[in-house]
Amino acid sequence: MVQLGVGILPWGQGHRVRAARFEGIDTSIMAAARKRKQGTKRGQKSTRARPDERAARPPASLAARRAGLLVVALSFGLGVWAAGWLIDLDRVVVSRFEGRPFALPSRVYAAPTVIYPGVDWQKLDLAGWLSRMGYREQPEAGPLAVGRYRWLPGRLRVHLRGFDHPELPEPHRKVELRLESGRVREMRDERGRPLDVVALEPEPISSFYGTDREQRDLVVLEEVPPELVAAIYSVEDRRFEAHHGVDFVRIAGAMLANLRAGSIRQGGSTLTQQLVKNFFLTPERTLRRKATEAMMALLVEARYDKSRILEAYLNEIYMGRRGPTSIHGVGEASRFFYGKRVADLSLDESAMLAAVIASPNALSPHRHPERAKRRRDLVIGLMEAQGHVSAEAAERAQQRPVRPAAIALESSQDRYFLDELARQLPEVYDPDLLEVEGLRIYSTLDPAIQRAAVRSLSEGLDRLEARVGSAASRGEGAAAAVLQGCLLAMRPQTGEILAMVGGRDYGKSQWNRCTLARRQAGSAFKPVVYAAALSPQSGPLVTLATRLEDTPLKVETPDGSWEPSNYDKAFRGPVSVREAVERSLNVPAARLGQAVGIGKVVEMARRLGITSSLPNVPSLALGTAEVSPLEMAIVYATLANGGLRPTPRSFIGLLDDQGVGREQWPLAGARRVLDPGTAYLATSLLEGVVDRGTGAGIRARGLRGPIAGKTGTTDDEHDLWFVGFTPELVAVVWVGFDEPREIGVPSSRGALPIWADFLAEISGTRVRGAFTRPGSVERVEIDPTSGARALDGCRVHQPEYFLLGTAPEATCPDEPAVARPGLLRRLFGT
Amino acid sequence: MGIPCSNAPIVRASRTVSAAIPVSFLLLMLTAVLGCFEGVRNQPTPMRSAPPLTASHALGLTDPARDASLRLVMTGLDADEAGRPGRARARYQRAIRVDPTNPFAYLALARHHLEAGSLDEASAFLDQARTLFESEGRRGPGVDVWGFGLRAGIERGRGRDERADRLFEQARALAPEVWRDERLAPGELR
Repeated sequence: MVQLGVGILPWGQGHRVRAARFEGIDTSIMAAARKRKQGTKRGQKSTRARPDERAARPPASLAARRAGLLVVALSFGLGVWAAGWLIDLDRVVVSRFEGRPFALPSRVYAAPTVIYPGVDWQKLDLAGWLSRMGYREQPEAGPLAVGRYRWLPGRLRVHLRGFDHPELPEPHRKVELRLESGRVREMRDERGRPLDVVALEPEPISSFYGTDREQRDLVVLEEVPPELVAAIYSVEDRRFEAHHGVDFVRIAGAMLANLRAGSIRQGGSTLTQQLVKNFFLTPERTLRRKATEAMMALLVEARYDKSRILEAYLNEIYMGRRGPTSIHGVGEASRFFYGKRVADLSLDESAMLAAVIASPNALSPHRHPERAKRRRDLVIGLMEAQGHVSAEAAERAQQRPVRPAAIALESSQDRYFLDELARQLPEVYDPDLLEVEGLRIYSTLDPAIQRAAVRSLSEGLDRLEARVGSAASRGEGAAAAVLQGCLLAMRPQTGEILAMVGGRDYGKSQWNRCTLARRQAGSAFKPVVYAAALSPQSGPLVTLATRLEDTPLKVETPDGSWEPSNYDKAFRGPVSVREAVERSLNVPAARLGQAVGIGKVVEMARRLGITSSLPNVPSLALGTAEVSPLEMAIVYATLANGGLRPTPRSFIGLLDDQGVGREQWPLAGARRVLDPGTAYLATSLLEGVVDRGTGAGIRARGLRGPIAGKTGTTDDEHDLWFVGFTPELVAVVWVGFDEPREIGVPSSRGALPIWADFLAEISGTRVRGAFTRPGSVERVEIDPTSGARALDGCRVHQPEYFLLGTAPEATCPDEPAVARPGLLRRLFGT
Repeated sequence: MGIPCSNAPIVRASRTVSAAIPVSFLLLMLTAVLGCFEGVRNQPTPMRSAPPLTASHALGLTDPARDASLRLVMTGLDADEAGRPGRARARYQRAIRVDPTNPFAYLALARHHLEAGSLDEASAFLDQARTLFESEGRRGPGVDVWGFGLRAGIERGRGRDERADRLFEQARALAPEVWRDERLAPGELR
């Protein structure tokens, strides 16, 4: 049984008692001073009354007088200094307690995972989510506590924790999932009612820390279980309720024990002193620091009640490390060690938290479970000896194994995304709001997609480097010789950034290549040129069946003549627009750029989302402009979204440290910048690239369904791109060196495999959805060799897409009589 | 031998005629069909009232993600109906996260923003919904009924009454019950 406040008056009264005592001391000092003053006056009177006595008394030596004066002066000086010191300490104490006592990091959460009947729970990594979120398996029968789950044949029962969210907070609830063939077949609540959709608690992905990099989950005393308080009292400060900040009894006992042992075995610090040490002082072990600590402890106890001091202690105490950040307070420690809120801790878990305080790293249950268990059992024994728990309860608790939750280490690769988030937040929110500590920032990051992005990029770059050799190994200098890359994934309809990996290793380079790098896009830029030429605003200048000349081209520019060539240096004569795109031919694209006008190309690029500087030069058509991967993602997202350009966003909203919603940033609609027909034609071209062209490696990897994309390889293979999309995701992969140099392979062998691996991991082999042509586009059979409408009798047929009214009028064969069956076919649909 | 009496020309003529009759008939029919076809093509498509395609009608037509998303849209519409716009919007947004290609989620958001007076947002979401309906091959009066009516509401909000009247007229021609009062109740989309 835990007893708080036993043996002392309630703090309010105690405080008054202490105040009265203080006033009593003050009164006695004043009285003594008055007495001294009166005595002096009396002496003066008697001196005047008896001058003969004064003459008879031997005169004090000058040295003695000076010594006396010196003592008085020194005492006075010491008193002034001591008073100043105390005032200063008091000021420090008050400012800390009355201000913001704790550094609270702003936490960033991923988007919540949503489960529903039919979802592939293995692809969602439901088991991994349970582990990462600190849910614990409860194999034995009985009611499930919050944060526990139980696997049954074909079923999963889980007691989900409630969570705050700017859009839809969720309460605690028990859910049973029926699982079959890798899918969730059915979901029911604890009353057996079917559930349509369940949102899982968002994963914390990281925090924005102060310079101290402290992680802390604030608790109030009421939510801390009495067992935990009792366990801390038992092992750290059993007389906490009785002393006034410094426990002289305990100090004497500790000194005695240390003398007997011949070394320092025990300390005499109270909880208040520990708090003071952590709050205000450095860990140095000097007499001066100890004196300051003791004095501040007395001041703290004089000013604040025990419950406030205890609450501060519970939130401040150092409890270990998670990677580069330190864990402070029992709230964070509870989540760190057991994946649950502090209120849900059991007796043995409470004892473990108290056990760890003495030496968080040496007694970590993650790293030293045996040692930690011994210390935990000691704490339980002390609790029993001090009457906080019964012998039976203590025995049961001591028999429980140590089972800490898995440590969810934040991935440093996520910090590229966080940097972008930090850049975006001030664009939307008032800086004053962002200064509030303990903000909860709900991001758009999809943890599963981000993990796939991190893995695909890392493994892809490793493979590529193994194949072509690193630049350093080719003797090109170690500096900036690491092959770098970026992988960015976005929702085309909403602009939500689902994954962002801006480099190979954030620890070594924080330069976010997805957002900050400006690199030549190469052929990945060509869809902009084709969209400009296909758009009705240009006529349209061409259709997908138009023949373009792939013959030597010379363009005169102010800087001399420009003669583009194809990747293979060959020329093919007339080729269709589709063929030119699928084969990524440079010369037809350059020719088209000239025909449509570079100004129009620039205009289209701006409409599609490119904001970087675009030079008005003929080579722009071949992607010589330097753009960021994020810009390319927006361009392709606009095509994927039927001509509606989304605004990139990396967060959903904010809550303050009390869980109260702050100004939100609701989902914004995408802006129409291109007609749906032209967007579809461009998509169809890019689908062809994947089906038959330079992107065919995607299909070769077994990926099926609607996929469109474009390779991009710049001159001398300095930059490798693959930008592609499905109906619900657009992804960009860029590969290159920070200081441009030859990589040695084209993008189809450099960037494309990374993109394909990434898509395969998140979508499986079958991509969902379809690219369906809008009503403004018609499908017409054509003769691919001439571009004419193919009628019966035409030797080769190929379906092609045209904006309404732009299909070729010329027919193949060019004979009206043969055209009749074609007309009948049109009429009757045969 | 007398004058040779040859009926060959007659036979040839009769053959020609007999051959010409079906050919002429066929040509006549073809001309008629072509005429009809052209006539039909050149006439404006008559507006016919049609059952609007609602979220509940779309359930079970595609895949589990779409169904889950549609159910979220339906609970959002219920929240809108119950006067809880914040909760409704949150449901729509979550529906989009479950299935970003669900046109009903954008349609519901368009209606939601129109009611709230956010005309630009309403317009953007309506455009997104129509694009997605198109990309799914869902065309025709069942879908147009939403587009005409909501666009009309947006135009009305922007003070373009003439255009709004015309669009409302088209919407009412498709679903007089829905657009009688020029407003779309959440339940009607459900």
